[in-house]
Amino acid sequence: MMQQRLSEKSAQRKAGDTLLSVRNLCKHFPIREGILQSTVGHVRAVDGVSFDIRRGETVGLVGESGCGKTTLSQCVAGLTTPTSGEILFDTGRGGPLGQEDRIDAMPRDRYRTYRRNTQMVFQDNFASLNPRELVIDCIGRPLRVYNEASGSELTERVVELLEQVGLGRQHLYRYPHQFSGGQRQRISIARALALDPELIVLDEPTSALDVSVQAQILNLLWDLQKHRHLAYLFVTHDLSVVRHMADRTVTMYLGRVVEQGPTETIFGNAAHPYTKALLAAKPDLDDDPSVPIATLEGVVPDPARPPKGCRFHTRCPVATPDCGWEVDDIVRLLEADETLFQSLQGVARKTDLEAGLTFADETAAAALHAALGSDRVPLAMRTATETLDLNGKTVNIRFRETEEVSLTDRGEGHQAACVLGRGGQ
Amino acid sequence: MTAHDMPKAPVIAEVRDLRVQFDSKRGNVHAVDGVGFQIRDGEMLGLVGETGCGKSVTGRAFLNLIPRPPAKIAGGRVLFRPRGGAPCPDCAGEGCEACGRTGTETVDLLTLPPKPMRAIRGARIAMIFQDPGKALNPTLTIGAQLAEVFLQHRSEALLAEAGVSPEETGWQANALRRMAREEDRWLDRRLKGLPPLSSAAAKLDAALDAHVAAALAETQIPNPARVMRAYPHELSGGMRQRVMIAQALACDPDLIIADEPTTALDVTIQARILDLIKTLQRKRRTSVLYISHDLSLVRRVCDRVAVMYAGRIAEIGTVAQVFADPRHPYTQGLIAAVPRAGTGRGHLASIPGSVPELVDPPPGCRFADRCAHVMAECTRANPVAREVAPGHQSVCFLEKTGQTAAPATSEASTT
Repeated sequence: MMQQRLSEKSAQRKAGDTLLSVRNLCKHFPIREGILQSTVGHVRAVDGVSFDIRRGETVGLVGESGCGKTTLSQCVAGLTTPTSGEILFDTGRGGPLGQEDRIDAMPRDRYRTYRRNTQMVFQDNFASLNPRELVIDCIGRPLRVYNEASGSELTERVVELLEQVGLGRQHLYRYPHQFSGGQRQRISIARALALDPELIVLDEPTSALDVSVQAQILNLLWDLQKHRHLAYLFVTHDLSVVRHMADRTVTMYLGRVVEQGPTETIFGNAAHPYTKALLAAKPDLDDDPSVPIATLEGVVPDPARPPKGCRFHTRCPVATPDCGWEVDDIVRLLEADETLFQSLQGVARKTDLEAGLTFADETAAAALHAALGSDRVPLAMRTATETLDLNGKTVNIRFRETEEVSLTDRGEGHQAACVLGRGGQ
Repeated sequence: MTAHDMPKAPVIAEVRDLRVQFDSKRGNVHAVDGVGFQIRDGEMLGLVGETGCGKSVTGRAFLNLIPRPPAKIAGGRVLFRPRGGAPCPDCAGEGCEACGRTGTETVDLLTLPPKPMRAIRGARIAMIFQDPGKALNPTLTIGAQLAEVFLQHRSEALLAEAGVSPEETGWQANALRRMAREEDRWLDRRLKGLPPLSSAAAKLDAALDAHVAAALAETQIPNPARVMRAYPHELSGGMRQRVMIAQALACDPDLIIADEPTTALDVTIQARILDLIKTLQRKRRTSVLYISHDLSLVRRVCDRVAVMYAGRIAEIGTVAQVFADPRHPYTQGLIAAVPRAGTGRGHLASIPGSVPELVDPPPGCRFADRCAHVMAECTRANPVAREVAPGHQSVCFLEKTGQTAAPATSEASTT
């Protein structure tokens, strides 16, 4: 029965057509405070992300912790409901993906098709397996839920799955704690494979494993993909793994996609300074050990009030005056300087770009005024300042208007959200 | 310091045939089984290996932090020669075999009584732990935790800055002395804010705060005054690791044991922490034992590297030697298993099988059942270290049978 189903499905599967499409996806988590738990703001974990996954391809999703890559992968796997935006999944309806393929608007039977065709493998292989369940129950559960098999047939199907991931019949009646980390990750993969899905979301599948075990798991994933035409969404912070596994790479920063394109292009000819910084920070066995590791200054800004324009401009080594400098950048600057921050009395904000900052005394205001004109702030920020004047205890500042920074084409499926190299410049 | 002038520097610490075993229900786990290496003054030695190979236990042996029981030291010594320590009792500072020609006294850290061990821990040898979130006490402010180091090891300096001379007696001086040593009593704390004691106690606190702030500033923490008042959960992971480094460097130790200091951090923060460790290590010429599972990282920051497998050293040499010419089949397999820029996509070379059980293991090379070059003698006897190049040793029978065998020199036989 299994064989029949497989061949039937692989006939439908054509490499290259879009399997899943994420369009303008947002996931905001409310920040609640006080006795009444009123919402005071939102953490914009994922803030307007679009990308496609085609049949049989691996999409690598990279970024620092807190950039929203795990939230995005949970939205794709249907484990979290997005705040806005759409996720479209090809359930075999035929024709191009459209509004009927939205996973939150599908009829129940097609939603079940989506769920069984999208499986997930988690980072923590110990926490993601029920410690009180035997391996046979754990891997067999999806088969039982979807009424695929029962009794001795179920056992045989589970054995078949175990053999595919390099385990065997002798492991059927053991508990998760009796296995090593690598073996547990194999069990997680077998469970994800049980319903013969089209897409597997892999959330940091090898970051808890040793190098030699990681190599074994990556080889297994590679073989399974070739054999079953699987599509992977490979979420990781390890760039060498992404380079090894992914056909296309998506880089995220603070809830936004900053660059996406073919893996060779991203690694060989990255267009966004953030991708470049990530690549430079990762030591590789092939690079020159005498070159010092490039470091990226500054901290990731608060995702509850992300910077305007390009979100990376606060840390960017090549920022320009067009990157979206705003009043919040001055507030961030003040937060790093305790004495000035304490004497700050209020920010009278006319727009995001124009405000008057009032201080308790004139010296503090003069100090800020002097700092904003000196090289304590980036040259790009000084150039972006349209007016800056000191009026007693108040510093008035206005930044120039800039365009929103969005993903632009850089050729051959390569897109980057950076003002540098943008069309016409 | 470059790898070239390394051999001239004196040996500051040495592990000789260390054997640590853990009692378990199924028998004795031979977690560390005959490990030996030397750390020279000002050098950064990388200790790499996979989970459970005994690298962390080896690192903790330096600070006597192995819980006994369940562990027991079945043999071996961990020798340490602090810079500027007492002269060697055997040769009165002339330089003999026992003190490695340094003339300084050699202490065996494994048999040291608790009190002298406490004087070394934190002051001469410090440790940076893997997870700063767990290693810092969540109920104390950063300032209070860093102050402990100074109260333990720098109380004389603190008293001098508070204006209490060592000759001074009387209840006020004694109370201040107790405060500076963190041995203050209930009554001392009550009297601290009252006039006869308050001004000197305030000076003592100010001196302590100045030391803590200076230590934090050293690790490039912005705004140390604010960080001192913060609790660990208020700081980011990278910032917490900076605090750990500040704590480790506070007393200017001779040796730092860094146990996977960047594993819990993002690549961009990792790069900055590595940069910081390397800069401070160069500036102060501190020796570092850098424990890690990340080969590409060790290659970038260390001078020499020791590869461990299943409780034993497999290969040791300079970073250039080991990565350009790995001799032990395990090292070769480990390097091949890392995805890198040069290799194409597709299959990675992986080492078949898994790490052996270390419960009462049979004699022979621990890697024998996974090794592609396994020979009959591999399962009969334990391989010994063979020198393949000056300072480069591989613990493998392949080196004996021929291709490029070199006799073990005195350098190899001393370890």
